[in-house]
Amino acid sequence: MQTPEGRFEPTRFEELTITVGFRCHSACKFCIVREGMNDFRGVPLERFASLAADNARHRRYRRVVLTGGEVTLEPALFDYLAVARTGGFEHVRLQTNGRRLRDAQFARRLMEAGVDEFFVSLHGPDAATQDLVSEREGSFDEAWAGMCNLAAMGACLMTNTVMTSLNADRLADIVERVAPLRPVRMEFWYYLPMEDVEDRRDLLVPMAELAPRLRTALDRCVAHGIEAVVKYVPRCLLGEHGDRLDNAQPDVVIAEDFYEHYPKFSCLWEARCEHSEHCLGLHHPYVHKYGWEQDLLVPQPRTRPWRAPTWGPAAPVDRPGRRHLPVHPDERAEGHAPWRALVEGVAERHGARLAEVLLQRRACVFRFEIGDGGVDVVLTARSENGPALVRTASFDVHYRNPSGADREACIALVRDAARAIATRDPGGMRLEARKGLVGAEARRSAAR
Amino acid sequence: MDPFDDDLVEAGPDDRYFDYCLEPYEPRRPWRGKLRAESLLWAALRIADEREWLEAPLRAVSTAVGRDLVVWGLKWDGRRIGLELYFYDPRKEDAAATMTAVGRVLEPWMKLEPQVRESIPYFMASLEPSADAVRAGRLEAMRLYLAGERGHAGRSYRLDASGFELENTYRFFDPRRDIEDVLALARASVFVDYGDRRVLAQVLPPELMACRKVCIAKKRRADGVYFSGIDVEALAWFLRRHAWPGTLVEIVLRHRTRFEHVWFDVGVDVRTDATSGRIEFPKSSFYGTM
Repeated sequence: MQTPEGRFEPTRFEELTITVGFRCHSACKFCIVREGMNDFRGVPLERFASLAADNARHRRYRRVVLTGGEVTLEPALFDYLAVARTGGFEHVRLQTNGRRLRDAQFARRLMEAGVDEFFVSLHGPDAATQDLVSEREGSFDEAWAGMCNLAAMGACLMTNTVMTSLNADRLADIVERVAPLRPVRMEFWYYLPMEDVEDRRDLLVPMAELAPRLRTALDRCVAHGIEAVVKYVPRCLLGEHGDRLDNAQPDVVIAEDFYEHYPKFSCLWEARCEHSEHCLGLHHPYVHKYGWEQDLLVPQPRTRPWRAPTWGPAAPVDRPGRRHLPVHPDERAEGHAPWRALVEGVAERHGARLAEVLLQRRACVFRFEIGDGGVDVVLTARSENGPALVRTASFDVHYRNPSGADREACIALVRDAARAIATRDPGGMRLEARKGLVGAEARRSAAR
Repeated sequence: MDPFDDDLVEAGPDDRYFDYCLEPYEPRRPWRGKLRAESLLWAALRIADEREWLEAPLRAVSTAVGRDLVVWGLKWDGRRIGLELYFYDPRKEDAAATMTAVGRVLEPWMKLEPQVRESIPYFMASLEPSADAVRAGRLEAMRLYLAGERGHAGRSYRLDASGFELENTYRFFDPRRDIEDVLALARASVFVDYGDRRVLAQVLPPELMACRKVCIAKKRRADGVYFSGIDVEALAWFLRRHAWPGTLVEIVLRHRTRFEHVWFDVGVDVRTDATSGRIEFPKSSFYGTM
């Protein structure tokens, strides 16, 4: 959501996306980096190697996603994959248009190089639809052959469909077409206009038209036992499929000014709706074209008070094929082990509980529960003169939101946590204020 | 060197930050090395060829009332930039903030002609100084703002030689928690036709609804909508949307990282054009303190 304080969108801070390069042999009408293709530079291999080495030490990210442009066109792709193998990532995902995967040998090499999740674009159930979207004749047949190869090899196949006016009436057909390949997941993303914010291409489809078609497609997914995920559609329009909404995006390394053009979202019912922390509402280009949809959107009354956000919500672990299964406590506890170790034992000493560790881009939040209240101990990147309770080798330590009757107990816990972090912080634990590419390093033209 | 660099005023350690209701706020970001919002006032007056006429009286008023305690509003009707100054003293504590006292300060440049009875319980008053007023040596009108209702609301009266005239009523809301009231009051309009579902988004655009306070006003010839607490990016969007002089927009954009600590306030008059049926904005404005 867009608020006076900025943008607050769910982020999967356990997942890192590397934009490898910006070349593509398709020209999808909805592409969010059409103009960027001419200008953006991918993340240099040495930069990725540095991030991977850091991750090998501190296990911040569980998954790395390699994307583009079209990532399979990158000549050094296998070098990137070699680096990914050294980074301590549990999963390596390739986001691709799938066209080069028609070469079964190439697809197998990718699997052997460590890719264990293929996230393939599928924007139509047939060549007539998809080739119209991609503006390249034959692109559907190639991608379809690629997906068949993946299915034959038993790969983890996920599909991604960007919903526009060009395919909104074919969503259920897409499910039917791909179901025999047994994809682990199908994702449906509403179109984000980044370069055509006035929608001169007429790709934005009104929610009143889209929603029933999308619900039908989701029904088909259920019938076929396919996990489905929806992004950028208001939750209240999904009916019984509301819990399939997952607007989280990974941490992305890309030219920083990419986000200046990234659509912002709002909903008039933000303070009224139970789901407003994770549902984004409508993006601004949509609101300008079709209005606020204040009568179509129906907030679910809140059961807890609404607070203006100050930190973006952290999305849970992404587990393709197991999204709706409860996360085992052991699996959660394993996450971010080096970060959790900074405060290990502190809660127990105070009769408290470490309820959550939220590792965000600019902060690590340790959420303690104590008595009838709690307190957050927050780490931000070390500064030289910013406000901080304590400055450690890597961090400025803060606290926030103390609550409950026993304020003294809260204070004692915060002090103990700060001491423990100062003692155990090995230095070099990364909480970057800015991780994207900026200036000349972000631009292909400037790099020449 | 850009001639407008002379208009830039650096933020200082003793600066206080107020919105256009003179309610204090914490700067959004550290302010060191950045710019005071009044930089845009001086730049706009230069663009309007009014700075040389107005700088001295404005500085005199600011000195008399107190630094950061005078709210300025810049208005744009598509042809010219206008200025309005607002003086707050809801509890009548500051003798310098009465219209009688402000009138005395301005007298060397322009005589404030209407005499106000200071026993009127106005919590705010405003004036529209201009180069024309200085050339004529007089200000013919002022506005007084009175409350007396529950909640954050008021009404304004224009006072000139012919007497008082009610000009508008207005009410402030939290744009998220009070959204039903915002929608109800906005749509209770004789000037704006909300029949087309897109109109509401034109009147309450998402870029500005991400604000801290929204104010709905009912005026004599249009409705007014004000958005308080927007960042400099939203200000730039607003200025471009309402076709403010390009030079001013460029200044905002060029220095946007140096205005990132400021919450700006903006407003529009809005109505549906009877002939075309389209929404039109006969006036837009933005605010700061000096």
